[in-house]
Amino acid sequence: MSKSLKDVIPVGHIYIKDNILEKDSLAGVSESKALWAKDLNLPKKAEYTFFAACGYQHMKYVEGMMGALKSASKMGMGMGKVVGISKAFGKVGVDLTGITAKITASKDDPYTPVLISAISVLRKLGLDVGYLHEEEPCCGSPMYYAGFEDDYAEHSRKNYEIFESFGVKKLIGLVPACTASLRDYYPKYIEGYDLEVQHVLEVVVQKLKKTGVKPKVKENVKVTYHDPCQLSRYLELTDEPREILKSIEGIELADLDPEQCGKWSTCCGGGGLEATHPELAERVGVRRVEELLETGASVIVSNCPACEMQLTKVTKKLNANVKVIDLVRLLDESLE
Amino acid sequence: MSNSELAELAKEITDNVQRCWKCRMCVEMCPTYEGWFTQSTAGRLMAINLYIKHGLGSEEDLSNMLYSCTTCRRCQERCRILSTDCSPADTILKARQYLVRKAELKGERNHEQIP
Repeated sequence: MSKSLKDVIPVGHIYIKDNILEKDSLAGVSESKALWAKDLNLPKKAEYTFFAACGYQHMKYVEGMMGALKSASKMGMGMGKVVGISKAFGKVGVDLTGITAKITASKDDPYTPVLISAISVLRKLGLDVGYLHEEEPCCGSPMYYAGFEDDYAEHSRKNYEIFESFGVKKLIGLVPACTASLRDYYPKYIEGYDLEVQHVLEVVVQKLKKTGVKPKVKENVKVTYHDPCQLSRYLELTDEPREILKSIEGIELADLDPEQCGKWSTCCGGGGLEATHPELAERVGVRRVEELLETGASVIVSNCPACEMQLTKVTKKLNANVKVIDLVRLLDESLE
Repeated sequence: MSNSELAELAKEITDNVQRCWKCRMCVEMCPTYEGWFTQSTAGRLMAINLYIKHGLGSEEDLSNMLYSCTTCRRCQERCRILSTDCSPADTILKARQYLVRKAELKGERNHEQIP
């Protein structure tokens, strides 16, 4: 008896792959991605194109879905069964994922404001940014990490054509995983890939130095920084976020010891692991948050939607008196 | 994807595993390590090697080990600094690709058999 894909690959990953290929979105929600940008008057053509990515745009749905899945698995339903049921509903025309996602989506969603902050920071620093709105594709990196290399390669070539058709030359990414995917993996599958991909933090550090702007927070606060794996070891940006934090007046940075931060930072267990091993992910998260709490900081700063989701969830579970906030949001508040 | 391409991928993976010095520094530092060797980088690499080279262990168990990796690359950073050239995180990713390709190849063949 030979085994099919379903027996060997975790259903969660197959489900995410199908979502990306069919609906061009990680969460599989057909609702518009670009709602957050409707009041911002972002042009489609500009010197820099902002790549918002599924992470922040759909994280509120993912968060709700993960919670629903976890409670389903506690009731004795495996991930496979849950996905199976939602597929069966899909066949008769009921978008169960969409409905559960909308019901379970958190009302005070902390993720989309990060996107607005990112645009506002870039504008405050005098950059000309555009955004592809509905036309922005999903970069497809979850497929790469799940092992679906062929699907990812095909998806990347399709995306490159989309970027070319809009005359995109310079991309600014916000989600670390997507930025790494666009910068490091796309060139492997596309001949003559010529997009210049930068992460928001790189651009911000350069501009802060050039313009000499001094950001300032209203209240003095002690923060610690959690390095997202994708940012510190894939994109290799460990000094930039710390430079930004140190440049903000009123912020005291309490860093972990060098074995636990920067390029040695421990993973928080967010992201792909949650889709296949939710309990292990939670234990990994608890270990990381305990490390972070030892610094005595009252705010955990990070810069990745998956990390923020995981850290928020775990700090709530541990009843810890800390806030999790995105670096871009903090910077936006401190820039006049 | 043909059999020979799959064999090529398998060789690339096992070659990478061979480069491991077995210093076991990656065991304690793996964020998912909780006492079981197979929940650490070195354990995963060993399982990959045993499965691909000698056909030991089941695909389900290997899949469980591979997909419990967070691909955070903490181990890879250690390898890079020790200049081992083993790239464990990338090897685990390649092994995932191997599982997918193998299953897809089997699926194609099953499909062909049905007239």
